[in-house]
Amino acid sequence: MEEIATTDLAIEKREQAVLELADFDEVVRVYRPRILRFLLASLADSDTAETLTQECFLKAWAARHQFRGESSLSTWLTRIAVNLMRDHLRSRSLRFWQKTRGTALDALDISDWLPDGRSSPESLAVARRQVAEVWKAVQKLSAQQRTVFALRFVEEMELDEIAAALSMNLSTVKSHLYRALAIVRERMGGKR
Amino acid sequence: MKFRREAAGEAETLISADRESREEVRELAEALSLYRSAMSHLAERSSVHPRAAATRAAAAFRFRLLLGPALGAALAAGILLPMYGHLHHRDAVALQAQEKTTPDAALARASVDDTVLMNQIDSQLSETVPDALAPLADLSAQASAQSSVSEKKQ
Repeated sequence: MEEIATTDLAIEKREQAVLELADFDEVVRVYRPRILRFLLASLADSDTAETLTQECFLKAWAARHQFRGESSLSTWLTRIAVNLMRDHLRSRSLRFWQKTRGTALDALDISDWLPDGRSSPESLAVARRQVAEVWKAVQKLSAQQRTVFALRFVEEMELDEIAAALSMNLSTVKSHLYRALAIVRERMGGKR
Repeated sequence: MKFRREAAGEAETLISADRESREEVRELAEALSLYRSAMSHLAERSSVHPRAAATRAAAAFRFRLLLGPALGAALAAGILLPMYGHLHHRDAVALQAQEKTTPDAALARASVDDTVLMNQIDSQLSETVPDALAPLADLSAQASAQSSVSEKKQ
């Protein structure tokens, strides 16, 4: 009885996800900031993140009939974004002369975007410093570690969702996350 | 008594380490939360005003579009022109060197060329006069005969 209820729930979820995709304007409105945020956190380049976000939704639109709802819409879109990002990083490593990025974000850019809801200028300054420290530490991670870190701590995805989005084993995701967190912690002055 | 004191000291150290560790984890969690918040604000702002970034991207694309062919042309000119100059110069030098090493051959070639030219001119002059020009040929023959007779009288 319980099994039938679980199956029904899964089917309902799939149908819901497919229905959600039918209103593509709404999909873009809801998911665009998330995909852009993930790409910004992973690539640290605002123009590239914008471009890949646009491409992600173009691809999603083109492939919308292939979506069967096996994963959530968010996971499906994240997977498209991850693939685009991998292609981009691969082609960038070939175009070695384009290493200088005019729109690269730095720690100051990021800490400036902190919501100004602090009680005092001192606490705001401390918060900005903390954000800048995390940003700098994240830039030292490998591409894989940074992606997993961004999906876990920026997108707040569950580990199995991350594994699905990256087409990775759960244990590999855990390993990347553990190492990434250890590096960030160490660079922020903590223990490894 | 001694054992109790040691145990109490160890416990205190552990509690202190635990407190530090908890404090560190709390700070890290707070920093990560702030980081997420900053990223969200940046993404939201970019979603509301995507035009600035898009314009910059388009400008960069146009720049690359123009810069690519210009650099290609400059590169081609920079490589091909010196190559052409080098090859041309090398041929001239080789010819000069050849002439220097075999001056007799150069002279012989020049004399052969002259002989061929002279033979060609002779054959053209000795060609039979076409029918249409025959009266003129007779006149010129008569004129040359008269002039030779008057020279003899004198």
